Amino acid sequence: MENSRPCDKCNMKSIVTDTVTGKLYCNSCGIVQDNNFDIYDPQIGGITGPAGTYIRTGTSGIGTIYNYKETKIYEAKNVIDDLMYKLGFSASKCSEVLQMVQKITDNKYGKGNWFKVFVGACSYVVMRMDNKPLSNVRVANMVECDIYELGRMVYRVVEFLDLQLPEVDVVGSYEYYVRNSLSFSEVDEDMIRRMLKQGVFLVQCLVKWYVTTGRRPLPVVAAVLVFVAELNGIDVKIEDVANELQVAIVTCKLRYKELLERLVKVAQALPWGEDVTVKNIMKHATFVIQYMELKSMSSKNSSDDKRKSFEDVGFDLDYLIDDCLSNENHYALDVIDAENESQYFRASSLSSESPNRFQISQECLAMVYSKIKNDMYEHESTDSRNNNIGRRKRRYGIISYTDWWKGESEMSKKLLVKEIVEKDVGLSAMPPSFDSSCLAYERRKEKIKAAKFRIHKTMYPWDAKLIDKVDLGSVEHVKNGKKRRRKMKVDVDWEDFIIETLLLHQVEEEEIEKGYYKALLDLHVFNY
Amino acid sequence: MADQGLEGSQPVDLSKHPSGIVPTLQNIVSTVNLDCKLDLKAIALQARNAEYNPKRFAAVIMRIREPKTTALIFASGKMVCTGAKSEQQSKLAARKYARIIQKLGFPAKFKDFKIQNIVGSCDVKFPIRLEGLAYAHGAFSSYEPELFPGLIYRMKQPKIVLLIFVSGKIVITGAKVRDETYTAFENIYPVLTEFRKNQQWYDDRLFVYEFLFGVIKY
Repeated sequence: MENSRPCDKCNMKSIVTDTVTGKLYCNSCGIVQDNNFDIYDPQIGGITGPAGTYIRTGTSGIGTIYNYKETKIYEAKNVIDDLMYKLGFSASKCSEVLQMVQKITDNKYGKGNWFKVFVGACSYVVMRMDNKPLSNVRVANMVECDIYELGRMVYRVVEFLDLQLPEVDVVGSYEYYVRNSLSFSEVDEDMIRRMLKQGVFLVQCLVKWYVTTGRRPLPVVAAVLVFVAELNGIDVKIEDVANELQVAIVTCKLRYKELLERLVKVAQALPWGEDVTVKNIMKHATFVIQYMELKSMSSKNSSDDKRKSFEDVGFDLDYLIDDCLSNENHYALDVIDAENESQYFRASSLSSESPNRFQISQECLAMVYSKIKNDMYEHESTDSRNNNIGRRKRRYGIISYTDWWKGESEMSKKLLVKEIVEKDVGLSAMPPSFDSSCLAYERRKEKIKAAKFRIHKTMYPWDAKLIDKVDLGSVEHVKNGKKRRRKMKVDVDWEDFIIETLLLHQVEEEEIEKGYYKALLDLHVFNY
Repeated sequence: MADQGLEGSQPVDLSKHPSGIVPTLQNIVSTVNLDCKLDLKAIALQARNAEYNPKRFAAVIMRIREPKTTALIFASGKMVCTGAKSEQQSKLAARKYARIIQKLGFPAKFKDFKIQNIVGSCDVKFPIRLEGLAYAHGAFSSYEPELFPGLIYRMKQPKIVLLIFVSGKIVITGAKVRDETYTAFENIYPVLTEFRKNQQWYDDRLFVYEFLFGVIKY
């Protein structure tokens, strides 16, 4: 077949098609042409013309022919089965997911990446409706999309089916991970049960203290897992737990720190509370948690009820008493020490109505305290002797105090948020974001005050004596931030200038306190 | 304009704002039709304050300083103006943009100016138990801490979306007029007070001494 195209090499118009391979070659030089994209063999000519090749899609094996729809459904079911297997769903849950997929797609299933995300979303919804712990992140990782894409799909599924998803169950997640985490695979069943109760108690305390509100639940779970493990002498690294739960390590560490900080705050109620810091809280953790547990079990209505409930409790403090009264008490109470410690029990810190009601001598209280302190230190020292010196992580010899935890508090059982809020665990903390916003308000108030004095100083320089006095005071107030400490004495920052400008434009202090500087500047300063 | 600007400094009108809190408007989005086809490339080349990258976005992004706003100008002659803090500022800004376009030689008009969205924010100054709110107002709320820290409250009347955060900070969006923002906030405020954290005052010291007393007595 003659072709009008010139040869790539010799430019002769003598290109013909090879009858065997169908490729183009030059009849004069014999070069096979590279660019044979323009081979076009029109399939025309009716019955007598050249026969075309019939192409169809969806052929599987010999003799089995699926059409497009069947193939799609077959592949979709494979996707579902694969995901169900990876997520470890039971047969009933699988069928629920399948039904959901069928219902939403009207038995048409689907093809493509979205379908995978969709099946992931359905699985998440099914588990969530059943209050089973399945994290968003885990599903998202399985279906290879980000959590927001999955979230949007979940939202659409929920919207379509008109469902109302129950709240994310933090306690449930904790229970699940204690039982199924690889880190605790070698821990015996009794210990697991203990850890469950302690952890549930702590998680619910964190719910009460707003640590979980508006935050991703899994980092909190990871923090509690690590804390409880440490409390029970199980060696677990926060990094490992975070990786296993597929959450950011930094967030887990932050939550862990927040947990410790709150326990320290609880400990402040105890006579030796001043001694407790984030660094040594693990030493006191058993006692603090025991205190919280008792507190949660006590009635807060009246002192009579309180007393009654105390008798009912029957007492987790047994070990304390036993220790106090035991013969082998290794605390030959150091007099000087007792005197030092007794500062915590001075009558001034007692509730005004109480001194006569509890006829406790200061010595008695000091004894209890010293005993606990001695024991703690003793265990720590023996422990540190046994432990590798090179290890940075400290152990606190808490294992020996296994009796301190009874887990009788209702807070160790799963409660509704409403019930948790009503419980008293010795501390009612505010959300961290609220605390920081209060601090920001205070800081801005101080800044406004300082700015006002600066303005006053400029406007009435002869009034210097009075102003200097006040000004110094105001600067003292302003430098509450650690980073600013050095700067504040000498200069003012951009924020101070903005505040000054706003004040000079007669903006209300209350408005400035809110800190919406941009809006205020636009409304009052650059308002032409 | 000046009245509007100084509104923030007036004492709060309690009949209009029974909560005593007036949401601060943070952003106003408006649209206007310049009613002429525009050559975006020419605009981008002539105007100093414009950027145009057709690969990224099919509109010229233009900014002015007073009022500090940003406009998206499309080839069809439609324009979106964002970033103003009041309705008047938004309109003024839109007019300024239209004037700029006119100066560049296009027969721009100023047709169908409309405020499309008003975003406001405020702080109720008490923490909010989002879980409780989500539970009690399930039909309107979506609270997914795994995805977003705030609770998304879709109010039906007025049709406004509120983002409610645990810290007590609220963002109100979706209003076409400023009163809708205020009404939405006044509607939600009593609901929020229900879920504010109850300040509990138990005498902890008393408890501690009873706690220790129990030990000694035993």
